[in-house]
Amino acid sequence: MRTSELENLGFKRITKGDGELKHGYTCDLLSEVMANAESDTVWFTVQSHINVVAVAAITGINAIVLCNGHEFDEETIEKAKDEKISLFTTSLNAFEASGKLYDKGLR
Amino acid sequence: MEKIDDLIKRVQFYFREVTVEELMTSPVFTIHQAQATFRAKEAMRLRHFSGIPVVDERNQLVGIISIEDIIHALESGNLNAPISQNMSRDVVTLSKDELIVDVAKKFELHGFGRFPVIDEKKRVIGIVTQHDLITILLSKLSILYVHDARREPFVHVDNYRSIPTGVDLKKEVPEFQFDIDYMDVSLSGIGASKLKKFLRSKGFSPKFVKRVAIATYEAETNVVIHSGSTGIINAYFKYGVLTVRVKDEGKGIEDVDMAMHEGFSTAPDYIREMGFGAGMGLANIKRCSDRMMIISERGKGVLIEMNFWGRENENIRA
Repeated sequence: MRTSELENLGFKRITKGDGELKHGYTCDLLSEVMANAESDTVWFTVQSHINVVAVAAITGINAIVLCNGHEFDEETIEKAKDEKISLFTTSLNAFEASGKLYDKGLR
Repeated sequence: MEKIDDLIKRVQFYFREVTVEELMTSPVFTIHQAQATFRAKEAMRLRHFSGIPVVDERNQLVGIISIEDIIHALESGNLNAPISQNMSRDVVTLSKDELIVDVAKKFELHGFGRFPVIDEKKRVIGIVTQHDLITILLSKLSILYVHDARREPFVHVDNYRSIPTGVDLKKEVPEFQFDIDYMDVSLSGIGASKLKKFLRSKGFSPKFVKRVAIATYEAETNVVIHSGSTGIINAYFKYGVLTVRVKDEGKGIEDVDMAMHEGFSTAPDYIREMGFGAGMGLANIKRCSDRMMIISERGKGVLIEMNFWGRENENIRA
């Protein structure tokens, strides 16, 4: 699926960008994410600081969904634009948010 | 020896192109067949050899004399006789172009401790011992070398050569250089991201670049969180091996062995709340690199060298 489909699922888009999504990963420890997330992944987290963009860029994560109603720092948004990473927010918790994509067949 | 053979079988892929020429010891000590046998015994004692190739006046290989042959000579009171009377004549030899896999097979088949390497004129140009095999296994495999600064003289850090390639990095101009000149942890990864883009622009494959970038990110983050100083990232590509070195002049690691334990971290709480400090950094570097080395001591900074070459089913070029 494409990152644009995340909007259809009710996630709020913060930055533009389009990319392939083949996998999902849910975790707040950055090293865990880098060690285990595949390329073309949508990442569910509650971390909103700028470094999530670096982790995404290095790991090949195309979309980040910030859960539990948190908001991204302004510098995170700017950096995500540079790196062409799609940012989304949701009021759902990480479990509920991940479940929506699991239902759609992402693993 | 069974274990070495077994190891070689399992990791044949990494060694498929290693030839006898690369792993042999050369030049090699030889002894003339007309010499008295006790001369061979003395040479073995002084030089800690367990066997010596025996040659004739044209320097051609005619046999090999081992500790076992010396013991036989001792038992029969033959130590003053010429070596030619006590040596073994059925020598199994290697040529310089044979592959390491064939060498392992010969060790397995013949049970000898060493094989002379000869050229087309039967002259001895080198020798391969079990020790040579182990050395090349250790240096080519993903083996972690942990050193503290006291061992620097032994690992020749001052004039350091990258072990898998033998390249003297002191003399090489890095293809990529990045100064870690910031202290804000939220900025961490700038260098790794730049290296990733650089390597992609040089035609390295996404899969290969990903693990280089992850390992570099972890090393860069360690500098920012732990060193209390600035640092530098250098990358070199030579003879099919990509080398990334991350160096700082900061606090150093007091106990490198402890730091290697997954889950062990000295990061403060505010760092952990950001999702860092899980104690996985060095473990991640180890997993993503094909070989890594850390040299550190309290107060003396940290040097991490990571080497990358292709893994099975992985093209390093795109």
